[in-house]
Amino acid sequence: MRLLLIEDSARLQASIGRGLRKAGYAVDISGDGEEGLWLAESNEYDTIILDLMLPKLDGLTVLRSLREKQNGSHVLILTAKVTVENRVNGLQAGADDYLIKPFAFEELLARVQALCRRSYQRKNPRIEFHGLEIDTAARVVLRRGRTIELTPREFMLLEYLAQRRGQVVSRAEIEAHLYSDTAELMSNTVDSAICILRKKIGRAENDPLIQTRRGMGYIIENGPA
Amino acid sequence: MNSIQGRLTFTIGALCCALWCVGSVAVYLAVWAGLVSQFDLALKTDIQALANMTEQSEAGLKFDSSGEFMPKFQREDHPDYFQLWETDGSTLYRSSSLNGDRDLPQRMGTLAAPRFWNVILPDGQNGRAAGIRFVPKEDEDTPRINGTLPLDKEVTLVAAFHRAELDQRLSYLAFVLLSVGAVLAAAAAVVVRAVVRHGLLPLSALADRAQRIDASSLQLRFPFDKMPAELLPIVLRLNNLLSRIENSFTRERRFSADVAHELRTPIAELRTLAEVALKWPEEINEATLKEALAIALQMESIATGLLALARCENGLVSLHPEKIGLDALVREVYQPLEARARAKQIAVSLEVPKDACWFTDRTILRSIFTNLVSNALDHTPSGGAIKARIEKNQTGERFVILNSSNGLAPEDMPHMFERFWQKDAARSSSDHCGLGLSLARAYAQSLDMKLDATLNHAEVVFTLSTGRR
Repeated sequence: MRLLLIEDSARLQASIGRGLRKAGYAVDISGDGEEGLWLAESNEYDTIILDLMLPKLDGLTVLRSLREKQNGSHVLILTAKVTVENRVNGLQAGADDYLIKPFAFEELLARVQALCRRSYQRKNPRIEFHGLEIDTAARVVLRRGRTIELTPREFMLLEYLAQRRGQVVSRAEIEAHLYSDTAELMSNTVDSAICILRKKIGRAENDPLIQTRRGMGYIIENGPA
Repeated sequence: MNSIQGRLTFTIGALCCALWCVGSVAVYLAVWAGLVSQFDLALKTDIQALANMTEQSEAGLKFDSSGEFMPKFQREDHPDYFQLWETDGSTLYRSSSLNGDRDLPQRMGTLAAPRFWNVILPDGQNGRAAGIRFVPKEDEDTPRINGTLPLDKEVTLVAAFHRAELDQRLSYLAFVLLSVGAVLAAAAAVVVRAVVRHGLLPLSALADRAQRIDASSLQLRFPFDKMPAELLPIVLRLNNLLSRIENSFTRERRFSADVAHELRTPIAELRTLAEVALKWPEEINEATLKEALAIALQMESIATGLLALARCENGLVSLHPEKIGLDALVREVYQPLEARARAKQIAVSLEVPKDACWFTDRTILRSIFTNLVSNALDHTPSGGAIKARIEKNQTGERFVILNSSNGLAPEDMPHMFERFWQKDAARSSSDHCGLGLSLARAYAQSLDMKLDATLNHAEVVFTLSTGRR
């Protein structure tokens, strides 16, 4: 899942960015409204975390510009503005959620997860198919009742493919959603990650859960729970 | 009765009634005096006529009771009375209405000026009597013997008349006056109340408006275009007061919001830093702790600034005035900041004369200079210039510091000394909390000086003036 954090406090940028990345999200960070708007328009984000008091362009203007251009990314406003009027204005401008500083990082994480789920029109945090059970809230994967140990990024990769099961997901899409820094990408990074994930999930080699479509990408077929 | 309307209604009503009573009594007395005088005049005529019917001769005194004047003393119903006495007190004649043996009281005046008084008549009715003592005329029908002394026997005559008609008129007059008085009192109660209420309508409107003003509606003002002259100064004063209260409230609300915002952000930073570090302890390193310390120091700086401001505003700063060389102090302040100026390639010129001295508190003046110089260094763009100099005018000396503007507009000037105000609404810099200039102004006021800021083309000019008052 790819997130955009638009926040002017360098310390919050660092802490929130570190926490979200550790939780497996790909995070892009911007320190002002102009750059944030440009990033939001140039990339596809599952969720944008937006401060309101920003240099150059304030958060509400950024939000309105995005909505005017039919940008459908979910937006969580993260601000020190506490009044009901501020919250109403934010939500009326097109925000999906509103969190007031100071906040519990776990709450921010849970809200971001909920918004990301909504990106795929799902409300239930549990995804079940082919005997696999993914709990997106608890960040746990079970296969026939047995827990499978995954790193946050592996979990995100599986969750992303599971959210889009039945659809072919290209390498470029996986890279865009899961890797925040293209510098860390090598040509076979995604292939390697898929390979490791297949081994951990454990299915017969001739019938993998995650199938490769040559020249197109990867797909998890729809299947019964 | 604790309302102006009630008091005015009562007072004006009572005064109207009192005036009416006094007027009524005066009218009654005047009419009474006129009627009695008229009655007495008639009485005088009658008693003079009776005197004219009394004659004397050498044979003695006689009363001629045969005249047409007599029937009123002889009628059955409410007759009048008269009685004549000789000098020795014996009755010469009494009217038949006295039934032969009853006497009238004796009081007497002269023929020209009879004595009048009220009397209870023998039939028990109220009456009025007139009495005279006179010398009856001589009987012309009985010739006198030549050479005899003139006849000068005196007699006393008292006549008493019914005064029922007079009393009836006076009673009717009293009734009319009382009735009209009662009707007028009732009318006055209604009219005075209505007039007072109408007269006090602007005051009621003012009270009504005042009742609708509370902390949430301080933008309301009292209308003054149709206000009476007596209330106009009050209304103008109240409007002025409301403006000041509204400004005060707005400032306090903004200040509370600013304090909340300024503290929320570092608290959020610290909390997130700690929570992320606790969730992934392997990520904790020296940089994490340095960040936590920096946030703590920033919060300390905000708290210290607010405390210093509060102390200044509450007059808790103790002053120790001494003679201070301004050039030395400015250089002392600038020295530790010189590296910052060099790093930003800012041209700094300190043109304070060596002999310029002020007699004031060194510590506080140093804080003001530090804030001003530091503020100038922070907000002068790279390659800009800062100048400090002393100017003299009629009211005293001024320390002036000018620096190249960093995008400030004239409308920013009134906000320069507001707590937490920063040109950039995002307040993105964690190095400043926006209290420095507020504190500098509060310090200046505690030294009885004045600190102002103006925008002169592309330069911001801060002026610290002595002789504030």
